Amino acid sequence: MPRIEDCEVHLNQEVAEDHYRMVVHAPGIAGEARAGQFCMIEVQEGLYPFLRRPMSFERIYPDSLSILYKVEGKGTRMMSRFSPGQTISIQGPLGKPFPLDPHHDRHILVAGGIGVAPFPALAEAIIGTLGRTPEVILAARSENHLLCEDEFHEMGCTVHLATDDGSAGDKAFASEVLRRLNPGPGAMVYCCGPMVMMKATQRVCSDLGLPCLASLEAEMACGDGVCLGCVVPTVTDREAGSSVRVCHDGPVFDAGLIDWDGV
Amino acid sequence: MTEDTRTSKQPTLQINLGGLVMKNPVTVGSGTFAYGEEYHQYFDVSRLGAVTVKSLSLEPRPGNKPPRLVETPAGMLNAIGLQNVGLDAYLREKMPFLRAHGCTIIGNIYGHNPEEYAELARRLEAEGGADAIEANLSCPNVHDAKNARGCQLVAQDPALVRRYTETIRNATGLPLFVKLSPNVIDIAESALAAEAGGANAVSLVNTLTGMGIDPETRRPMLSNIVGGLSGPAIRPVAVKLVWDAARAIQIPIIGMGGICNASDAMQFILAGATAVAVGSYTFRQPDAAIRVIDGLEDYCARHHVERITQLVGGMQL
Repeated sequence: MPRIEDCEVHLNQEVAEDHYRMVVHAPGIAGEARAGQFCMIEVQEGLYPFLRRPMSFERIYPDSLSILYKVEGKGTRMMSRFSPGQTISIQGPLGKPFPLDPHHDRHILVAGGIGVAPFPALAEAIIGTLGRTPEVILAARSENHLLCEDEFHEMGCTVHLATDDGSAGDKAFASEVLRRLNPGPGAMVYCCGPMVMMKATQRVCSDLGLPCLASLEAEMACGDGVCLGCVVPTVTDREAGSSVRVCHDGPVFDAGLIDWDGV
Repeated sequence: MTEDTRTSKQPTLQINLGGLVMKNPVTVGSGTFAYGEEYHQYFDVSRLGAVTVKSLSLEPRPGNKPPRLVETPAGMLNAIGLQNVGLDAYLREKMPFLRAHGCTIIGNIYGHNPEEYAELARRLEAEGGADAIEANLSCPNVHDAKNARGCQLVAQDPALVRRYTETIRNATGLPLFVKLSPNVIDIAESALAAEAGGANAVSLVNTLTGMGIDPETRRPMLSNIVGGLSGPAIRPVAVKLVWDAARAIQIPIIGMGGICNASDAMQFILAGATAVAVGSYTFRQPDAAIRVIDGLEDYCARHHVERITQLVGGMQL
């Protein structure tokens, strides 16, 4: 069950240009949180920004949570000014976690930019629960935007790097790296990143006949499935305007369900 | 609540809202609470004076295309488009939860014409789906054939308000509330039309129409282009409209628009509202309405008021 918890900030530091890692003491939420779920963070007590900010869990510890975020606007700018010792209000855990299916012998995490945010927790869950070590395709605009590489290495993951400008790893998109890997049947692909990147990843998976899970991001008001503000269209019944709520039905979806052209 | 500020007697928060007895004057804005289940994870939803459910239509509605939501200073713009499960699914899957928890239910309804509203009200009454009806005549985010001009709402035409209200009135014996729009020249005229049509109360106000444009892409921020503005940004407007209407009509008012706490709620009550609804702020703070109830009780105690109804329209001039 989600709850609202007053949490002490332990650490909040810049890990790359405009990218921050925050660790908060949140025993209640951390005790229930699972990889792929998210929380809603109140960025200040005033009324502007009016809404909480949805953030996925980078790592889930017994009594604390790590959150990796990118400063994009007013709310995340305020978050970047949180200082250790400060108490903030966090609501969670929300949404559905990544399903962990033991029938796959190969797990490939495809991350684009800040889309890597939920993957360290997922890698840890795959290792801990399924006893398998995932591979990671880590893609970003340039070298200084590649996040979590060391974390994945420490967990024993093979990491394939790719950058748009070729400053590190292959000069390629994440989906192209995945296609080149050409994983055989039995592989499971998880992706998170910009919509175009997830759409391309889904296309590659579809070509290769692989299942693909996508973790989506959306503007949200409630995070609880109430406001219906964060919906994305699905291919189930385009004519009828079928959609799913990113917050409550997701944020993790079978990528084949999403109508990527309508997002 | 501190002991020393309490009068010996517990203040009475119970109200009679046009025939609907509520144990306290606090409900929720339609569309900000779904059908209650989600927020029951955070608190006992039966503590609310009433649960106002998301607008129900005869058939399920898919709602508008995304993006449907934009945050604004002290508020938000939405263009959900009345996405809802439809009356049958509500009665089958949603209503039993509210009944099982002993909630008082205000059934908010939306139809394409007066007859659809009447049918919704009739069936909600016959099947025990609501204890009162709130007719949404003022959603800014639906584009139906009859509203081809986009922003033209039933609530913007007093003659239509009266006709719709009369038709629904003839279909149900339940207390009937009519939800009106702030996007009018004279709210008193709208409220008088609802009263003349047989409404037992009016809900003031629905969202203010608004829009946002992304300067970088030069595209509208909402797929629907225009949406409804809610949150504390509209509160002063809403309080003033309640005050305007209260001086014109005899039936009670449910005041809403940016209520975050008991002080905000008291502004509406002092302006003339008998009940209040917490809306968008619930998205930020799920138990906001409960805090308002506790805060109103505390307010009455601090001001040595025995019954909250004594404060309705009590602004001192």
